Amino acid sequence: MAKTEAASRKQKVSVFSVVNYIVFIIIALIILIPIWKVLIDSLNKVGVYQFQLWPSQFTIEGYLTIIQTTALFRPFLNSVLTTLLGTLLGLVLSTLGGYVLIQFEMPGRDILAYFLLFTMIFSGGMIPEYLVMKQLHLTNSLWILVVKHGMNVYNLVLMRNFFEGVPASLYEAAKIDGCSPMGIFFKIVLPLSKAALASIGLMFAVTVWNDYSTVQIYITDPNQVNFQYKLRNMVMNGDTPTTAYHVSQTTLFNAGIISAILPFMILYPFLQKYFVTGVNIGAVKE
Amino acid sequence: MSKKKKIVTSTGAEVRQKPLGLRIWNNRGYYVMFLPVLIFVIIMHYWPMLGIRYSFYHYKPVGARTWAGLEHFQTMFGTAAFWTSFKNTLELSIMKLIITTFTSVIVSVFLNEMGNLTAKKALQTIIYLPHFMSWAVVASIFLLILSPSYTGMVNGMLRDWGVIGPQDGINFLASKVWWRPIFYLINIWKETGWGTIIFLATLSGINPELYEAADIDGATRMQKIRYVTMPALGNTIITVLILNLAKVMNMFESVFVLYTDSVYEVSDVVSTYIYRQTFATAMPDYGYSTAVGLFKSLVGCVLVLVCNWASKKVRGRGIV
Amino acid sequence: MKKKVLSLLLASAMVASLAACGGGDGGASTTPAGDNTGGSSAAAGTESTGGDTESTYQLSELHLVVDGTITATVDNGQAALIEQLNAALSERAGYDVTVTIDQYDHSGYTDAVGRLMVSGDLPDAMIMPASMFKQYSTTGILWDMADAYDNAEFQSRITLPAVNERLKDAQGHLYGFTPAYGNGCVTYVKKAWLDAVGVDINTVTDYASYIDMLTKFAQGDPDGDGKNGNTYGVIAAGFANMGEAPYINYMPEFWQGAYPAILQDENGVWYDGVQTDATKEALLRLKEAYENKLIDPDTENAGTKDAREKWFSNNQTGSSGVFTYWAGTWYQTLTDNLVKNEVDPELVQLPPIKEIVDTWGGYLNREAPVWVIFDDGDGDDARENEVFDLLCDAMLDGDKVQTLWTYGAEDVHWSTKAESFTTNPGTDNAKDYDYPEGTFHLKQSPNDPNSVWKKNYIDNALVIAPLTNGFSDASELALTGNAFFNEHCVDAPLSPSSETLTAETGNITDAVKKMIVDVVKGEVDVDTAMETYKSTVGATVDTILAELNAPAE
Repeated sequence: MAKTEAASRKQKVSVFSVVNYIVFIIIALIILIPIWKVLIDSLNKVGVYQFQLWPSQFTIEGYLTIIQTTALFRPFLNSVLTTLLGTLLGLVLSTLGGYVLIQFEMPGRDILAYFLLFTMIFSGGMIPEYLVMKQLHLTNSLWILVVKHGMNVYNLVLMRNFFEGVPASLYEAAKIDGCSPMGIFFKIVLPLSKAALASIGLMFAVTVWNDYSTVQIYITDPNQVNFQYKLRNMVMNGDTPTTAYHVSQTTLFNAGIISAILPFMILYPFLQKYFVTGVNIGAVKE
Repeated sequence: MSKKKKIVTSTGAEVRQKPLGLRIWNNRGYYVMFLPVLIFVIIMHYWPMLGIRYSFYHYKPVGARTWAGLEHFQTMFGTAAFWTSFKNTLELSIMKLIITTFTSVIVSVFLNEMGNLTAKKALQTIIYLPHFMSWAVVASIFLLILSPSYTGMVNGMLRDWGVIGPQDGINFLASKVWWRPIFYLINIWKETGWGTIIFLATLSGINPELYEAADIDGATRMQKIRYVTMPALGNTIITVLILNLAKVMNMFESVFVLYTDSVYEVSDVVSTYIYRQTFATAMPDYGYSTAVGLFKSLVGCVLVLVCNWASKKVRGRGIV
Repeated sequence: MKKKVLSLLLASAMVASLAACGGGDGGASTTPAGDNTGGSSAAAGTESTGGDTESTYQLSELHLVVDGTITATVDNGQAALIEQLNAALSERAGYDVTVTIDQYDHSGYTDAVGRLMVSGDLPDAMIMPASMFKQYSTTGILWDMADAYDNAEFQSRITLPAVNERLKDAQGHLYGFTPAYGNGCVTYVKKAWLDAVGVDINTVTDYASYIDMLTKFAQGDPDGDGKNGNTYGVIAAGFANMGEAPYINYMPEFWQGAYPAILQDENGVWYDGVQTDATKEALLRLKEAYENKLIDPDTENAGTKDAREKWFSNNQTGSSGVFTYWAGTWYQTLTDNLVKNEVDPELVQLPPIKEIVDTWGGYLNREAPVWVIFDDGDGDDARENEVFDLLCDAMLDGDKVQTLWTYGAEDVHWSTKAESFTTNPGTDNAKDYDYPEGTFHLKQSPNDPNSVWKKNYIDNALVIAPLTNGFSDASELALTGNAFFNEHCVDAPLSPSSETLTAETGNITDAVKKMIVDVVKGEVDVDTAMETYKSTVGATVDTILAELNAPAE
């Protein structure tokens, strides 16, 4: 009697596991099928609607076309450049700001904190922001992508939360050794925050790389646009910049999509924990 | 600001505070370090706030700026297209928020029940992936997959299955019926995985003794989910909803990359409306678009304060 | 405490932002369009001292913004073109001139120009399609080039003076210049498809027979894949091309005499072409054809490039038999693309059907896109005159510069050196070209060795002042196409220009598009749609009509 009950419960458990595995596979497929479809189509000489596991007419011409077409490759390089500079600026500002905000003895610290936080509640809006950038001659220039994302209050607060986790005794020991605030910052805080730098740096990099609307609003000069903008225009309007491709237009579109996600897809498996850490401190610890 | 002369150090000892001037001098290094941040915040955030005054002016790319009083606000409240965009903003963001939160909860519960850690890690890796794709990329992917032309996968399969005729094609993103469901589905695809992180963190914090106690009571797996897991998530769900409710007015890029002029009625949001009134008009009046923007910011601001208040009620601290 | 600080900050920031009207950025109140134009180009130029004439002004940089009509793109020999333009213009001007070309995506041009205008970062000159040009001509940012035009060197050689005279407004101001007349669209039909479904093109003379042809394309098996009904009759970029006038030219057979925009009647009185029975009937024709799958549903959102690509795509399943597109060189280009995609390349041109001839008189010859020069607003025309001289006057110099604008760069796009080459070698469509030394000829396209270069910007067959160096090389198809169009075309209605229209064009266009799409897709019946249109923008349109029909001062 008791034995059968135990057996049936075991049965139930394994049924649940099977169901769970099936659900797992379905979820994974929902995410992966569109990506796989795009990847395979980018390697297929002709455009097909069928979902294929492997391209029917394999070619890498789609990617070669992107590299060889100035009107596509220059935006790609612009994306790389702005992402590097934007990440750098973002890290500088958020580490400086985050570090100062944990100086509890500093007079006016609260005021500075609220000065920053207020910007998360209220903003001038799209048009006043645009007019200011216009006065600064940042419209029609890829620098806008760098400065627009460099100052990110949310990331700054995350950075501050990281720094708070650094044991205060380390700072005090350094202070006693006669280290200046800058000295402590470079010798103690930054070396101890490599994980935070990686994680928040990635958040900046993803933001800048993925930015489409800033370009759509601020930039018209075709030499200054980034790859996301070019890609969206190409796919949405069918405006391929060349007629000389040796592959179907669909192939070129798909190759464009893959190129736009490639840098992070390559980094992602290795840096996944850094990608995720950011949100963990943001959401959980905050 | 602080009237207290005494402060408490980390070790708990009370010390007399030094005079303000000296304290400022002692911290001079920090002020210098904060300077770049301050400059950027002022330029990028506070300077534009001064531009809000344009909402009371006629301000065109050419010609002098002239006083308009409340004219722009009257125009705005009398324009049907504006109200459509306002209504759409609320509907789209709130529905999106509810739907993606719901799917995130479901997926996290499944993830939490998975005993095989390798499988769990693998699935997490996969479902986080779309979050890192830009809206431009996501829109491009779905534009191609949903295309009514010969290379569109979904329409192609529907034709093969005989659901639609060989010449039919559902133009999902240009159809007033389909646009919103597709928009929600794309949002689910992109953000569900990322949304699970916060719920998984909560779930990992559930005291294992609760499950053990449930085991002793002979609870089934489903019962444990029903009576132990879900209640623990309740608070987090409310938190997530409140945190995101504050952002509902911000919707722009996700709509901008997916809408076409055929579906403005169901898709146009306030930000896209402002965009078109400014950048797709030969001689825009910045005053008008600033006025619409100001209205949007004010509504957003009120929402943040409401959510802040709600957050304090629910979890004892604010969101800002 | 925190709450207090927060509310204090909030309140003070609000007060500061709302009340600080006087202070701050004084620069914003001046005309941004004006103060930036000069900056882009004249920075290094010698300061003009006012009273002197154009010859003293030195324009170091000539900054141009163009759409896709300059076919020498960055990937198609633009660098060489610019280099040769620099040399030729420097020689003409007597000092160093550097040309900068910003070429925007063609489909997004209107959108991008809107943003460019807002940015105030204006070039010296740019290309504007006619309807866009009419919008900006009331704004005061465009320079009146009437004097410069009347005194231009090319006046002695001009063969089609009416083209630019037509651009002048009632007061004689000329805000735009075109070196060629407009050109228009003709209807192309795939010959192989006609043969497959057994239609003789000569029997397609009116709307009924046109629809009959489309029906056979849609229901039969014109692509020969053994399946009936997986093809369409016709594709276009939009049911109406609301981006550029004449809006109906991609679907003339359906629109016939209707015109979904403001236009003049025979007495010169402006009226709204949308609110007419003709438009209603046209929408119902489109609706019926859409329902019967004669029109490819992609038409709704397709850009011109999308439509083209689909039409000559390698996979003809899902393609269409009919495509109404630009006449002349495009006849050759469409054929080349069919060849490239290994599709039967023979095309026939359909003469305008009876209903088009009865209403308009033929295919519409659009108002030409124009070059506009921005007025820097300094009251001195020296800089603008120099821009006109280096751009417009030079463009029709009959010789070196005109050749560059017409055919592109020497030895990149064209050559006079001995040369022989083969396009599509090793295929059925292989074609040999052989030129002796000294013969002007077009070379292979820089980015596509399988097609021969056609033209750069000016179409030599449409130019208003011909080349004097005798350089001429056009394919037979392009010549046939031009001749065919000339035989069957009439001038398109003039686009209106009024202040309210400039401010409201976007909203009106949105309303028209919505009406068209709603009716054609069968979502709303035509009368309801018309009512919606009237209630949305009817009042605005009335204001515009009143402005347009006001007696001239």
